[in-house]
Amino acid sequence: MQPDGGTAQGVLRETAQLVGAVGRAMGTTLRNLFRRPVTLRYPDVTRVYPDRFRGVLALTYDRETGEENCIGCRLCEYICPPQVIKVEMLKAEKRNWAKTFTLELYSCEFCELCVQVCPTDAIVMLKTFDLATTDRRELLLDKDRLHALGLRFEHSWATGTRLRDMQAPPKAARAAGEGGARE
Amino acid sequence: MPSFARHALEAAVVLGALVGLVAYVTLLERKFAARLQSRIGPYYVGWPHGWLQPIADGLKLMLKEDVVPARADRGVYNLAPIVFLVPCLLIFATIPFAPGLGVADLAIGVLFFLAVSSLEIVGLFMGGWGSNNKYALLSVMRAVNQIISYDLPFIFVALVPVLLAGSLQMSAIVGAQAGLWFVAYPVLGQLAFLAFVVATLAAENRVPFDILEAESELVAGFRVEYSGMKLALIQLGEYAHMLGTSFLGALLFLGGWLGPGPAWLGPVWFLAKALAIFLLVTWVRWSFVRIRVDQILAISWKLMLPASVLLLLATALWVAAGGAGAA
Amino acid sequence: MPETQTRQVVELGYAGSERLVMNMGPQHPSAHGVFRMLLTLEGETVVAMDAIIGYLHRCHEKLGETLTYVQYPSIASKTDYVAAMTSELAYVSAVEALGTFEVPRRAQYLRVLVAELQRIASHCLWLGTWCMDMGGALGGGATVFLYCFREREEVLDRLEELTGARLLYGFHQVGGTRYDVPAGWDRKVRDTVAFIERRIDEWEAMLEDNAVFRVRTQGVGVVSRELAQEVGIAGPLLRGSGVDFDLRRDAPYSSYGDFRFRVPVEAAGDCYARYRVRMVEFRESIRIARQVLDGLPEGPISSRPGVKSVGQVRVPKGEAYARVEGARGEVGCYIVSDGGPRPYRMKWRGASFSNLAVLPHIIPGHKVADVVAIMGSVDPVFGEVDR
Repeated sequence: MQPDGGTAQGVLRETAQLVGAVGRAMGTTLRNLFRRPVTLRYPDVTRVYPDRFRGVLALTYDRETGEENCIGCRLCEYICPPQVIKVEMLKAEKRNWAKTFTLELYSCEFCELCVQVCPTDAIVMLKTFDLATTDRRELLLDKDRLHALGLRFEHSWATGTRLRDMQAPPKAARAAGEGGARE
Repeated sequence: MPSFARHALEAAVVLGALVGLVAYVTLLERKFAARLQSRIGPYYVGWPHGWLQPIADGLKLMLKEDVVPARADRGVYNLAPIVFLVPCLLIFATIPFAPGLGVADLAIGVLFFLAVSSLEIVGLFMGGWGSNNKYALLSVMRAVNQIISYDLPFIFVALVPVLLAGSLQMSAIVGAQAGLWFVAYPVLGQLAFLAFVVATLAAENRVPFDILEAESELVAGFRVEYSGMKLALIQLGEYAHMLGTSFLGALLFLGGWLGPGPAWLGPVWFLAKALAIFLLVTWVRWSFVRIRVDQILAISWKLMLPASVLLLLATALWVAAGGAGAA
Repeated sequence: MPETQTRQVVELGYAGSERLVMNMGPQHPSAHGVFRMLLTLEGETVVAMDAIIGYLHRCHEKLGETLTYVQYPSIASKTDYVAAMTSELAYVSAVEALGTFEVPRRAQYLRVLVAELQRIASHCLWLGTWCMDMGGALGGGATVFLYCFREREEVLDRLEELTGARLLYGFHQVGGTRYDVPAGWDRKVRDTVAFIERRIDEWEAMLEDNAVFRVRTQGVGVVSRELAQEVGIAGPLLRGSGVDFDLRRDAPYSSYGDFRFRVPVEAAGDCYARYRVRMVEFRESIRIARQVLDGLPEGPISSRPGVKSVGQVRVPKGEAYARVEGARGEVGCYIVSDGGPRPYRMKWRGASFSNLAVLPHIIPGHKVADVVAIMGSVDPVFGEVDR
């Protein structure tokens, strides 16, 4: 489109080139006009979350006994980079419990390190992320709410044991079995 | 005064229809652009497919706070949207939608259209100047440059069908195309139509030439400070102008209301042709990146203007040689 | 082109001239985050430009000194959040260089694979936002932008299937990677790169020969070879200015020595040259990704047992610098260790930060519209600039 002087032939060639380019550009958009839209009507239609989706955190119950899995060991509290987890331990005879377990979801980075270190697979991530709210206090999750969330939404694949097995160098054979707890 | 009342009624009907049409043209563009981009576009307001979206947009803009910048030139700033909107609506006065259906089929219709449509620059400049904003100022500097540069080729190109038809009256121009639409005239018609589309893009500030809006440089150009109903008026004016030019294009080149079928189908044909031009322009808009201001001016003065003058001369020669036998 | 100026004097006010000082950013559609430019204009022409950064400063390096070697890799991605994989890689490479950590071959290959996928995703974002800068949010620019994002989404989907996250992955850890590939994933990656390869042709059809695109990019923002070396820019910018330098080839890290690829170099130094370099890099990244998938060895993904506690990784006293070729150039991480579980001092060398330094040299003399085109072609990410 730069009208620099030149021979008539040059002008013709340039014009032909320009027309070709315009045609190609508009042809590309036209081709896309007949493609299916890739966006989804989100609240009605949700996409399929992959197995390892890192979403909202939750606490789990033991499948057989129905007891809480968390033993209040505070490993997740120590490793959490943004320090959103606070746990108090309740010592008991048979096993320990978490007296309180709070998680400030509004500051969470979803790095999955807490899941990774959990020795009892008590904390997991869920295949959901949209807990939007108008009050940030609703995102300050305590133990009861974390357990309730765990019952409400589908769990992701990752648990502490699975992640550590996947990374473990020597005993890779052990991880082969599937059959884990999935609510 | 029945004649006066009749005209007033007609004007009101055209205006009302126009505003509704413009609102839905925005929806058309949004849906079209969305599909070009693999999106869905407006959907939930007026489920399905966002049929109520333009109304919701209008309501939203009406309810919005009307912010006037503290250092703005209030009089000019407030007047600008009106000054901008009036010529954009006025151009529809001369457009006949079918034989005898229209506000005023002036004998100098095309001239009136061109004269009035280039007045929009006044409102535009007032808005940019009155906002007391550097982005707006730069934008209107560009606008004055660009619109004046492109009005010339636009006028010259619009005169090609006038020469072919031998009349400035819109209905006469359509009548002259009864045999063959002007766009179908060998070489001359296609070139003129192409030049018309390019000049339209530039005169309407659509994307390859939208330097005065230029969101990525000047945020929103001359309307950066406008909000609420004033913004709505400016948007309405822009789209009305866009649509008006599409109607003009359909009149001048695509044979207006001519088409197969009974006579009452005429306005439908006309609307369909105008929308086709609108979609063509929209398609171009969503396919290209923007050109720089100096390049736009270079294209106008070095390419578009000589080309359109040559085109006009060629047409004149052809007509003088008795080529326009159809008229 | 104006010559290199040591310092641009910004004239405030009009001072009798027809100059206009315009503020661009930090809130501006094409500020690419929070970049602020003070432009002194004469009409439409920029005569001086002052760059002001720091609006996204998050004390990242200080943060790195408070977090342990276990915690930080998942935060490292927040420096360059558009190419998170490479910043993580720079950090863990530095830690691995400091200690004596062996990284299994499978992990090395996976690191290369995700780095190249990340480069594709990052370049997609660059192309899209750059075209949007030039073409406007209400025009063809937005169309290219959405096409690029549509394709980028495919890559992000693959990375999400691998790690569970779309933007900040936390894929790397000291001594290997945190995640192994899920079943059937390599097949999907092959499909994705083939798909993107086809779509690159489509973008090029929209841009390459397009006169409108060419007049906006050719001869605009020329960085000469000398200026490029003087300022110390890196990555596609450097290669666009005719310097044949790519860390992946010239200082191979991880397992880049095992793969064959071409380093594109363009001599012109303008926006179009940078565009060409990145378009070739797309294809080269796809080529590398395919080679990785072909040769992906079996075995463990980490030489260390899975992380169980926060202070698990300790390195001896000393210091180390590791650099990788990120999507924007050399991403370096410098770590000083006092033998504890966390670095005593850490420092990032952000590619975007160094690349931005070239702007005041090339912008004066251009039109306002070119400013955004040049900005976009530099492709800064402000998480990395301000840290």
